[in-house]
Amino acid sequence: MLTLTINGQSRDVDVPEDMPLLWVLRDHLSLVGTKYGCGIAQCGVCTVHVAGKPVRSCQLTVGDVGTRAIVTIEGIGSTPNGAKVQKAWMEAAVPQCGYCQAGQIMSATALLDANPQPDDADIDAAMAGNLCRCGTYIRIRRAIKNAAAKSA
Amino acid sequence: MKKIIGIVVAVIVVVALGFAGWLYLGRDPMSFAGGSTVALADYHGADVTGVPAQLASADLVKRGEYLTHAADCQACHTAPGGAPFAGGFAFNMPFGTIYSTNITPDKQTGIGKYTDTQFLAAVHKGIRADGAKLYPAMPYSSYTYMTDADALAIKAYLFTLAPVNAPARQNQLSWPFSQRSLLALWNVMFNPDERFRPNTSESPQWNRGAYLAEAMGHCGDCHTPRNLAFALDNHGKFAGTLTAGWRAYNITGDNVSGLGDWSDEDLTSYLSTGHANGHGGAAGPMGEAADDSLSYLVPDDTRALATYLRSIPAHASDLPRTVTTAAPASYREGVAADANSRGEKIFAGACASCHDWTGVSPVTGFATLTGVRAVNDPSATNVAQTVINGVNRKTTDGRIFMPAFGAGYSDDDIAAVANYVTARFGAKGADLTGKDVSALRQQAAQQSKEAPNG
Ligand code: FES
Ligand code: FES
Repeated sequence: MLTLTINGQSRDVDVPEDMPLLWVLRDHLSLVGTKYGCGIAQCGVCTVHVAGKPVRSCQLTVGDVGTRAIVTIEGIGSTPNGAKVQKAWMEAAVPQCGYCQAGQIMSATALLDANPQPDDADIDAAMAGNLCRCGTYIRIRRAIKNAAAKSA
Repeated sequence: MKKIIGIVVAVIVVVALGFAGWLYLGRDPMSFAGGSTVALADYHGADVTGVPAQLASADLVKRGEYLTHAADCQACHTAPGGAPFAGGFAFNMPFGTIYSTNITPDKQTGIGKYTDTQFLAAVHKGIRADGAKLYPAMPYSSYTYMTDADALAIKAYLFTLAPVNAPARQNQLSWPFSQRSLLALWNVMFNPDERFRPNTSESPQWNRGAYLAEAMGHCGDCHTPRNLAFALDNHGKFAGTLTAGWRAYNITGDNVSGLGDWSDEDLTSYLSTGHANGHGGAAGPMGEAADDSLSYLVPDDTRALATYLRSIPAHASDLPRTVTTAAPASYREGVAADANSRGEKIFAGACASCHDWTGVSPVTGFATLTGVRAVNDPSATNVAQTVINGVNRKTTDGRIFMPAFGAGYSDDDIAAVANYVTARFGAKGADLTGKDVSALRQQAAQQSKEAPNG
């Protein structure tokens, strides 16, 4: 039995240690906001925060999480930057199909946490690993800048 | 005039003999230790050949299985995706391609008809049942140190495998390398054709390690440079060389380029799992050696191997000391900040999510780049190969996985990202070109047709 801290709550899960965190979230804890895309750390849809860092949960085994706090898309709105990003996302109507967007929001929030006023190059460096098949990249960039402006 | 010609000829002969002598002196892999050796029968220390004590009373086949792992027969005798031990693995050499053969007990295409004597001749002397000579891609000049009993235990194990009908693939060698008979001369020069002789000046543990490293694991076949005749040149024993498109690193005790600054714990951890924290993990051929062979050794044998490795004289090679501090957290800072924007872009999209801009992975210690020898190798050979082929290993510590990017990225892309990674996280940035990467793709023995994913 493993005890995880997810979105501020303590959750017990009975799973093998080598199970990817993404499987645990979706199949064992019904936190299905985090999506499964490529399974090989190449698309970014499974991004969650572990100890404040954006991490691809498809590659992180649950046994390696330890006591580090996990935040998923379900909990990100309760963080200051997460709330700002979500609001900016709605104002800019960023999503198209929406599949990639949980991952985009998690990466964008981590970016603002580390760098409150990112320029275009900073946004590229932080967001390049999050793919969007619908090509919402331009709106994502605008929404990140709007959220940053609100932080200032 | 005649006198001058005579002198010139004499000089040439002396130089040639001297050179042959030099090559010959590089033949013995254990002479560095000095001391005196005795025939196994006259050695009164602990048992240094065979299986470890735990398995001493196991049946012949079980013992053979352990020794088959220790000798790592499987890695070379299995084609990518093919049946284990059925051969067909390609060795891409400068003078052509040699394929490993089927060593399952199939009577037509395998070794099913081999008698004990024939099997020993193949293992010790490189001679096939039909009398033809094997190419030294089969490391018989190392296996020659194996005892008859151990070789025959391996045979007993191999004979319990399901026979697979897999005819040998035709070697493609240019003349004169296609002439097997020429190997007679090579064998006289480079195959000692003698069994392991324990060194009475060293501990039983050292001797066990020597037996495992030389007679069984044949570490030198990848880690020792070869001479002009493609035989191991033990003047640079274990100093590292390029083998099958991958760099087998310097595993001597040199502090800068070798294993001098590895702790005993690092060494045994790497040998038993193919990974040591702070030094990174094995990929490519060493990954296979770890998974198919080294990870099966019992802890006492791993320690014996480490003891032996520790005794190898330091031999400096052209590798810099590894950088053990992480890179800055921001992509804007650090050595490669604006050196290579294409490499940086690829790193941002495909690599940073696991390896992080610091090189210290937030996901798993297996993905940390800081301190890894391959990243601190200014040729970037193994970085490029790892990017091309990925890593897909199952260890007792869990699965180690990195996608294979070879099919999805161009040679220029792979060169750019390898140059970026070595500059940002290593001691010195590489300057690979797309052409170099294309050559590395050719040289690697293992060409996985499909990128493994998920
Ligand atoms: S599913 Fe994890 S990165 Fe694509
Ligand atoms: S909105 Fe459809 S994949 Fe990004």
